[in-house]
Amino acid sequence: MGFLAPWFLAGLAALGLPVYVHLLRKQTTVPRPVSSLMFFEQGTQSSIRHRRLRYWLLFALRTLLLLLLVLAFAQPFFRHKTVLASDKLLLLAVDDSFSMNAKDGGTVRLDEAKRQALDLLAHKAGGQKAQVIALDGQMRVLTQPVADTRVLRAAVEGITPGEGHGSFGELGRGMRAMAETVHTPMELDLFSDMQESNMPGNFADMVMPGNVSLVLHRIGAGAAPNWTVESVQAPGQLVDTKKARVIAVIAGHGTPAASRTASLVVNGKVLATKKVDVPADGRATIAFDGLDVPYGESRCSVRFDGGDPFPGDDAENFAVKRADPERVLFVHQASDNRSALYFGTALGAAAQASFVLQTITPEQAAEIDPTKYAFVVLSDVPAVPSVLENVLIRNVESGGSVLVAEGMSAGHREHVPVFGGTVADGHFYARGAGGAGYVTAGAMDSSHPALKDANGWQGVKFFYASAVDSGSARVAARLADGTPLLMDRQMGEGHVLLFASGFDNATNDLPLNPAFVAFIDEASRYLAGAERMGGPRAVDSYVQLRNPVNAAAASKTSVDVIAPDGSRPLSLKEAATAQSFQLSRAGFYQMRFANGRDALLAVNADPRESDLRPIADDTLKLWTGATAQPESPVTGQEQQQSQQGGSHVWWWIMLLAAITAVAETAVASGYLGTEREAI
Amino acid sequence: MLQRFLDPAVLQGISSLDLVARTVVDGFVAGLHRSPDFGFSMEFAEYRAYSPGDDLRHVDWNLFARTERCYLKRYRGDTNSQLTVLLDASNSMKYGSGAVSKMDYARYVAASLLYLAIHNQHDPAGLIVFDDEVRNYIRPSTRSGQLYRLLAGLEQAEPAARTDFGKPMQYFQQFLNRRGIVLVISDFYAQPEEIVRAVEPLRFHGSDVVLFHLLDPKEIYPDLKGPSILVDLETDEKLEVIPDYVKTAYRAKMDRHLQDLSDRTQAAGMSYHLLTTDKPLDRALTEYLTLRQSKGSPSRTGVR
Repeated sequence: MGFLAPWFLAGLAALGLPVYVHLLRKQTTVPRPVSSLMFFEQGTQSSIRHRRLRYWLLFALRTLLLLLLVLAFAQPFFRHKTVLASDKLLLLAVDDSFSMNAKDGGTVRLDEAKRQALDLLAHKAGGQKAQVIALDGQMRVLTQPVADTRVLRAAVEGITPGEGHGSFGELGRGMRAMAETVHTPMELDLFSDMQESNMPGNFADMVMPGNVSLVLHRIGAGAAPNWTVESVQAPGQLVDTKKARVIAVIAGHGTPAASRTASLVVNGKVLATKKVDVPADGRATIAFDGLDVPYGESRCSVRFDGGDPFPGDDAENFAVKRADPERVLFVHQASDNRSALYFGTALGAAAQASFVLQTITPEQAAEIDPTKYAFVVLSDVPAVPSVLENVLIRNVESGGSVLVAEGMSAGHREHVPVFGGTVADGHFYARGAGGAGYVTAGAMDSSHPALKDANGWQGVKFFYASAVDSGSARVAARLADGTPLLMDRQMGEGHVLLFASGFDNATNDLPLNPAFVAFIDEASRYLAGAERMGGPRAVDSYVQLRNPVNAAAASKTSVDVIAPDGSRPLSLKEAATAQSFQLSRAGFYQMRFANGRDALLAVNADPRESDLRPIADDTLKLWTGATAQPESPVTGQEQQQSQQGGSHVWWWIMLLAAITAVAETAVASGYLGTEREAI
Repeated sequence: MLQRFLDPAVLQGISSLDLVARTVVDGFVAGLHRSPDFGFSMEFAEYRAYSPGDDLRHVDWNLFARTERCYLKRYRGDTNSQLTVLLDASNSMKYGSGAVSKMDYARYVAASLLYLAIHNQHDPAGLIVFDDEVRNYIRPSTRSGQLYRLLAGLEQAEPAARTDFGKPMQYFQQFLNRRGIVLVISDFYAQPEEIVRAVEPLRFHGSDVVLFHLLDPKEIYPDLKGPSILVDLETDEKLEVIPDYVKTAYRAKMDRHLQDLSDRTQAAGMSYHLLTTDKPLDRALTEYLTLRQSKGSPSRTGVR
């Protein structure tokens, strides 16, 4: 038996209190005055002796109560080493994040981690239960708590190299959730390279619950110099291969200055090779002009020969789709030629332009098929034929897109075509008395795909804008007076973008501003759908398979996902119902979405995994919660021998103390009642 | 109606002792219903030759005009019977189980008697307050303001010290040069023979001696529900006592003491009356008037 808080035993001195009260203190009663004791004689009643017997009982209860309280606060425990070893749940957490694919002296870190985990299992006590956990971006429990070593070994050996980003915060959260159901002591043995980038932003997320003792097993030699392709910027869709430009950033983590040869690979074929000087522990940018890809989807990558212990991050994938220019239908008034001019010029000037503008009047648009166009623009159209509007709405709901520019004609109608909102008013800022005659752009939501480069909007003057009720639409930009300028409404699978002003230079001078080209370029690619599907993605990110708003209708069509290894990760049921899909592997995913579009998605490992710097020793000690705890792995048998845990009995003692307190109260009440009667 | 003011519990609410005395006596007198046995009207009784020191207000000036002799005209109620009250003011008189302590009750009795004597009977009255010695002595007199001196003496009589009958009685005999009525008010916590031995000389002097034995009801019938520690008010001595003893032996002793004291005082030619603080005050007044009448009976026939 031992005490966790032996200083509380000093409280035993409090036992003197009942001794004083019952034995040392003179019993005092209130004396009664009488005129004379002349006729009285001394007498002692037998009941007083009985009461003194009760005094002894009360004394014993009070002494026992104090003794129990002191013992409870001293937290006694009994050591049961044999029982402890089998009661303690052993948790083996193996880090299988992308960085565990790095090599140390020819040995892959994950293999070393698995070997150490198997060693620990070999020394596990026979009856002790254990559980195997794999850790990357999520904590995956691979087995139930079992004592069968064969099951546990099979689980450890079955851990394969992952490509996700490890998170110790996720481990902390998972253990805290587990501790809510498992109240027995647990020992968590973590086999990891202790990458610094795996730490969460808040250290509190890593903290383990009270019944978990954390034992760290560091894998790897520590910080190893590593070069990596940090990012690649390439068009998702291109028309002119000569205009295409691929920009890659090669970064070094803890590396000396070195020269590296990077290659642009398309469908397994090296298109170009360039040398780049990477500064010590720095970054270098390399650009490839021209991207000669065949029509259709192409699997591209930028790779180089790193010559470092982590070859897995020496390449970055991206997908490119080459197609003929898509047509954009531009509907405008016959009298308005400037809008089409400005819009078409901007569309053609965009660096990644892959659209051809077709301009028509509303009367000519009555029988067109919008599905043949990337998107449709309604520019300052006073009245859209209802047939055309219904066709456009159906097209949007099935995945098409429409850009509506209100222009001056909004004052002639209350209803915004396709978008659905009502026009409350038209603001003629040029006629404002005493004002500047115009208003500038106010709040801009740069997270909207159409406004990624919104810096140039600050100097644009707006002379007219329609005040449209945005309703449930997302307001991407507002004028300085708060009038919504650019609104995005999702309808079914598609989007309608509403520009509250016009594309001519009568309602604003945006078409004369350089920002107009960037806006038209980004808006066009967003509306055409290229932006939503283009660009490389990180492992463990999610891709939306079908629109949750229109999920019921979309469930009639199934999606199709082909993983990088050629397998189909979705079952038939999942293909019919799943709304999103997690990209768990690096490589190229071939996907067919619920709206019928096909896409090739390039998935890369998280670039944070390339920084192999480990967590500082002080931080690790703080995490384990015991500076004296050995960080180096020890054998399981030795560890169990060194553990001095015990079964705590303080709460049993507190229960006994509570019972004693009740008994003391009952006895004391009886005694006090008698005393009152005597007085 | 006024009879209720003889109740000590009612009198306890009256702060002025003068008012207490007046209330008691008026109530008492009103309750007599002109009894012929207690005549204290202004009915003529006798003439007495004037002697120096007599109150000139009582001179019959008509007779003096006719005879040129100075006589005092005396009435039946004017027969002098000097009253002296001996009040025990020892600590034991502080005891009281109810609203009125023994000392308060004793004050009421003494004040009422003195008021009756001076105001109604025109008797000289005096007061001796004693405990183990004489603490205050107010000579008997009929002078104006005597009543208020006596009442002030009663007000100042706060219980203190122990009771000792020997010394005060011996001292009192030095002042007793005239027969009269001597009323001793005390709780008489002493041996009966000792009390009688101390008081008996007053009787030898020719005075009528009445012992008013004043006790609290709880002293005669104490109720003790459990073992208790009792403290003697005079000696501060403590004693643990059990209820069984109080219910049996104590009551027997007290009864024996009361009976013994009564027997011995009557054997010595003195009157003895037991007063309890929960009873009205009329019994003491009645006793006084009875004594006074018996003393004043010769004057009823001495008409010249």
